[in-house]
Amino acid sequence: MSTTQADRPPESAVDDSPVAVTTTRRRLPGWLSGNLLLLPTSVWFFFLLVIPTLLVVAYSLGGRTVASPIKFSWGNLIWSNYKTALNPRFLPIFWRSIWYAAVSTIACVLLGFPIAYWIARFGGRLRNVYLVLVIIPFLTSYLIRMYAWQFILQRDGLLNSVLGTIGLGRGHEFLNTDFAVILGLTYGFLPFMILPLYASIERMDPSLVEASYDLGHGKASTLFRVIIPTVAPGLIAGILLVFIPAVGDFVTPELLGGVNTQMFGNTVYDQFNSGNNWPLGSAMSVLLMVFILAGVFVYLRRVGEEAL
Amino acid sequence: MSDPDRVNLAFIWDTTSPHFSRRTFMRTMAFASAAGFAAACGSSAKTGGGATTTLGNTPTTPHTFSSAVEAKTLNFYNWTDYIASDTIPNFQKTTGIKVTYDNYSSNDALFAKLSSGSTGYDIIVPTDATLVKMKHASLVQPLDLSLIPNVKNLDPRFRDAAYDPGNQYSIPWQWGTTGIGFDKSKVGGAVTDWDAFELPAVKGKSSFLDEARDAFAMALFALKKDPNSTNDADLDAAKDYLIALKKKVKQITSDYQDPLKGGELLMAQAYSGDVFTIQADNAKIEYVIPTSGAFSWVDSMAIPKGAKHPKNACEFMNYILEPKVGAALTNFVNYGSPNKAAEKYINKDILDNPLIYPPADVLAKLPFQKDIGDAELKYSDRWTEVKTA
Repeated sequence: MSTTQADRPPESAVDDSPVAVTTTRRRLPGWLSGNLLLLPTSVWFFFLLVIPTLLVVAYSLGGRTVASPIKFSWGNLIWSNYKTALNPRFLPIFWRSIWYAAVSTIACVLLGFPIAYWIARFGGRLRNVYLVLVIIPFLTSYLIRMYAWQFILQRDGLLNSVLGTIGLGRGHEFLNTDFAVILGLTYGFLPFMILPLYASIERMDPSLVEASYDLGHGKASTLFRVIIPTVAPGLIAGILLVFIPAVGDFVTPELLGGVNTQMFGNTVYDQFNSGNNWPLGSAMSVLLMVFILAGVFVYLRRVGEEAL
Repeated sequence: MSDPDRVNLAFIWDTTSPHFSRRTFMRTMAFASAAGFAAACGSSAKTGGGATTTLGNTPTTPHTFSSAVEAKTLNFYNWTDYIASDTIPNFQKTTGIKVTYDNYSSNDALFAKLSSGSTGYDIIVPTDATLVKMKHASLVQPLDLSLIPNVKNLDPRFRDAAYDPGNQYSIPWQWGTTGIGFDKSKVGGAVTDWDAFELPAVKGKSSFLDEARDAFAMALFALKKDPNSTNDADLDAAKDYLIALKKKVKQITSDYQDPLKGGELLMAQAYSGDVFTIQADNAKIEYVIPTSGAFSWVDSMAIPKGAKHPKNACEFMNYILEPKVGAALTNFVNYGSPNKAAEKYINKDILDNPLIYPPADVLAKLPFQKDIGDAELKYSDRWTEVKTA
């Protein structure tokens, strides 16, 4: 902000203008207007991000009784919530969350990349129409879309009746399986992969691909050595935008999963409901948050932050 | 608006709508409770200046209400499809009190709404376990029983029930049991007790409730222990039972109605009323009260803390306890009535249905869920172990 102050010339000329008497077009100094522009965002982030996050951290050091699921006191910080949250009993669920999120992210890349590439390169005049088609599912609530998958995947559902009609048999168990949860996550987060990828691919100079062919690269080699490095920022953004919400999701396994598809998010959610243990739920949230932040940090270091 | 026949639109919609389950929207409403949590965060942020932040723990008010004259209105918040068409109009006619009638479809939704602040409702109808939670969180206030002389009409069983001894906080509305719903055409008639979950026909096609106390009660009944046990050894045995059972079921869920109706689930631990509702659409679905015993559930009228018309609320409760009013209610909704004096006006087919009015020997094995105080935490911690096993 100090640089903007230096960039601006003095504004004294405006004050001397005869019309200034009524309209007073006097400009604020640069540093002040910069800060003022930031003010709404800062207030927003302070009240809706910083304070809630601090509350979660505070709750994770609280106790609980039957009467109130959270009892926080500065004089009695309870660190053992973290010990409970780190109980190896929760590890299988933690790994399951990572596994679901990783498989969904890979599926999103494999599905999203060709779609984004095709729209950006060959979409022509209808590009915006295709993009709107990608966004349209967002116009419906995530919950409703997951309920729709229930109807498609259930025993008497659409998928089974189609399979039955083409002679592959009815009555397959799709719902309440790992497959259903990963499918739901992939479907739900696919647009988050397509949109940043599209933005990157659209900005890529198409002559790079031609140059690559001219210089003797094959198709695969062009893809891996020219296209992917060029669109890496979009790819990295897409992977983060899919993986991070997917790893903490609890709605999809709740609606499409069965008895053995609980994710970390469900365990946290249960602590705020039937588990009646907000401190433990908060400690788990903090640990997940720290783990994801550390993971993102390492990932960006490795993949190269200059790519973003 | 002074016309006593005139009631709020929701009421008209309610009695003419096709019967769908009270708990169908449980899951959706769970998100409402998440929103309630967010609101709770907000409110504690405001008071966060002090050294200690305690949520929802304020002292209770005395048993008699202020002598101030109340406006002739009553705001009543009840489950959907859970009242007779003439219950409210007759009350308005006889008392001149205008009733506003609103509906909810899950205990979670009700609890979230109440804990997020003053709602303006004078009567709510939580299920026993939720009533206990509300008592602990000081969300409901004691009744003035001198205003409810008809309390004598209650079946003695409901006068001193474990969830609310002496009707200090609540007057029961209707009751039922937590047993097993199953598809008779696919499972056969062999379902009599909780061990039916072991039947090969239902392997991977059954569910039990996503409620700690209900699930543990099932295990404790099956193990012939006290369903309200607070003994660590009993609870550990029940936990092991549930973890083993988990390998044989498809889901742990309270949203079993549609899957059971559609054949996705062949058997489910279920609330009696829900199964009777499903039967209306799918006659193959049957309900049994397990022979080793089951919990009774009771939906009870209670007055939220801060209600503006507690005396009108008591007057309404007293009205519901009149024999003919209670009988008309039961004849309409087909649940068991806690009103003993009403039984001579209740339809014979309801009184003769052993699933609604169980014979004395079965009734003896249908205890209420007890308010076990701090021991509730023993259940919730073990429940987390079951769910994450």
